Amino acid sequence: MTSTATAETTPDTGLDHLEIQGVKKVFGENTAIARLDLSVRRGEFLSLLGPSGCGKTTLLRMIAGFEHPTNGHIYLDGKDIVGLPPHRRPVNTVFQSYLLFPHMNIADNIAYGLKQAKVPKPEIAQRVRDVLALVQMEDFAGRKPEQLSGGQQQRIALARALVNRPQVLLLDEPMSALDRKLREEMQLELKRLHTKLDTTFVFVTHDQDEALAMSDRIVVMYDGVIQQIGSGEDIYANPHNGFVAGFIGKQNFIPAEVTSTDGGTAQMVSANSTVMETPSLDLRPASAAGEAGTLSVGDRVRAAIRPERMRVAPAGEETGRPNTARGKVISTSFLGDVIQYMIVVGDNDELLARVPAAGNELLAADAEVDLSWDADAVAVYGFEGGA
Amino acid sequence: MSTTARPKQQPPAETRETAPTKQPLASRLFGASALSFPTWAYVVFFFIIPLALVIFYSFGYKPDEFTAIATDKLSFDRYPEAMSASFVSTFFATLRISILGTILCLLIALPFSYWLAVKVSPARRSLALALVMVPFWTNFLVRTLGWQIMLSPDGFLSNWMQSIGMLDGPLDILYTRTAVQIGVVYNYLPLMILPLFVAIDASGKRLREASYDLGAGKVKTFMRVTLPMAMPGVVSGCLLVFIPLNGDYVTATVLGGASGSMVGQLIANQFNTAQNWAVGAAMAMILIISTLVVVGVGFALLKLGQTITARLNSVPLQDGRA
Repeated sequence: MTSTATAETTPDTGLDHLEIQGVKKVFGENTAIARLDLSVRRGEFLSLLGPSGCGKTTLLRMIAGFEHPTNGHIYLDGKDIVGLPPHRRPVNTVFQSYLLFPHMNIADNIAYGLKQAKVPKPEIAQRVRDVLALVQMEDFAGRKPEQLSGGQQQRIALARALVNRPQVLLLDEPMSALDRKLREEMQLELKRLHTKLDTTFVFVTHDQDEALAMSDRIVVMYDGVIQQIGSGEDIYANPHNGFVAGFIGKQNFIPAEVTSTDGGTAQMVSANSTVMETPSLDLRPASAAGEAGTLSVGDRVRAAIRPERMRVAPAGEETGRPNTARGKVISTSFLGDVIQYMIVVGDNDELLARVPAAGNELLAADAEVDLSWDADAVAVYGFEGGA
Repeated sequence: MSTTARPKQQPPAETRETAPTKQPLASRLFGASALSFPTWAYVVFFFIIPLALVIFYSFGYKPDEFTAIATDKLSFDRYPEAMSASFVSTFFATLRISILGTILCLLIALPFSYWLAVKVSPARRSLALALVMVPFWTNFLVRTLGWQIMLSPDGFLSNWMQSIGMLDGPLDILYTRTAVQIGVVYNYLPLMILPLFVAIDASGKRLREASYDLGAGKVKTFMRVTLPMAMPGVVSGCLLVFIPLNGDYVTATVLGGASGSMVGQLIANQFNTAQNWAVGAAMAMILIISTLVVVGVGFALLKLGQTITARLNSVPLQDGRA
């Protein structure tokens, strides 16, 4: 479970609902996507997650048909759709900026796709009403898009796509223009719709909280390459490489040198003489481009510890045991459910620690503290370019 | 949260602080509003006052051979006098040239502007726009004289068409209505292309993509999204072409000769040659009013068309809410 870049396919059909095989996209001199394979299961909620420029939107636009892959195939229900123009593909998109037609009212916007499909008028009316009820916007049928708020337009954009009963619903960062509260509400809404409709959703986002909150599986992308595919839980708890470890959630990376690998336990020392110990010799690569390896003495590595795995206590007796460090609080943030401390260890190692707010007293800035963590909280990654 | 609750939302009532309050005259003249002075001064001095003078003169008369206008006695008599048989026939010929010219400009500009806004890469677009604009920046008279040379019976077009056997004798369209028609379409085409290009460009690639995504092909997308959204451009293009074209007299003078004259020439003759400002002004008023009537009828037809297409295309939801 360390280096599978492609997801397992359903064994009986051979091909999944949406199958992307060897797809590459080059714009002029820039490679947006370098040979990518991905299987999307029927009815799943799959998120493409990555920083801007990672190729996730390009991939989505190739599925929609707005971009043509330089190489490779995209199979939908076993049929290659690469040659089909966008209007012949049984997929619909919810766009980032909604793109409702400003000269049509809401009902006509939603009916647009059904009219193109030559659905009889009474059925169109029925389906438009149903989908308006589904997104809880029945009273807005006669309004013009400009009379709606961003969140309402978002629902209509969703309804306009869903009413066509697409094989795959593509969502291109549909919530990035909404404020936080509305975004969280829409996340729940979208999740509810997905459960109810059983449509395959492919959701593009750069917001990991959004991806974690909604997805069955998350595809982490960087630099046109899939870094890891897995459930949110899996990706968070078991990142395959340094990029994923740093991109998902918060992470403390501590540069260190391996000093011993006796008995399957690796010991590392940072420049500030912090000693870290972990019961595994796994060396994970910096990114998907690298290979996993085994730690050996003298390796320069990055030890990674999640902030919430840190324990913070007022400074006591100096023990010098592994997986402890003495530091000084330089900033304190009360975040409601947790308290976040920035703690400097030695001269320059800044470590983030998050402790539950309940049952922990707030430590003042400048307080001397003892940090400690469990050995299994330490994961080890190579440096970019090395390992 | 207000979006999940769904009461019939009233648009927020205008509150007191947004209600416009009338400012004192001094601050309107010398305060921030004074910044609009150049605009309204321009409108007053170059439009309202001259127009008022034309209206006023159209009620006057020509007292003697050496005086152009007198206004000591006012009457409507110049109007029947202006509507001579030759004026009326020229008037309808003019209307025909302007309406046909506007339609031709629209038919040429629509595909061109679509191509320019949709198909041409942004880098090449400025070049294509420059090619549209450079002739437009050339002097109107010079451009029209160019057509006179081109269309003349011994010009190169005539010679060339004869040499390839398209014509038996010399080209015979200079000093006809056809020549005027060609000339006005050429002269006013950029005024149609520019607003159309802007409107189509503004409707945007993204909305076209949304339309494709919903299953509409290129033609459907053009008819249902691009064209309806470009309607303001179509309207302003038609106004920009039709109104000045209706009053044009340079093109007709250079290319029209006796058989291709336009109303503008008759008016200019009254002012410049016959020195009868009263009749000229009455003719000008007839032209202005009829132009407004045509524009009004055009708008009414447009609204009717839009209402009918909206009826045909909209989905009745049958529950009184749509």
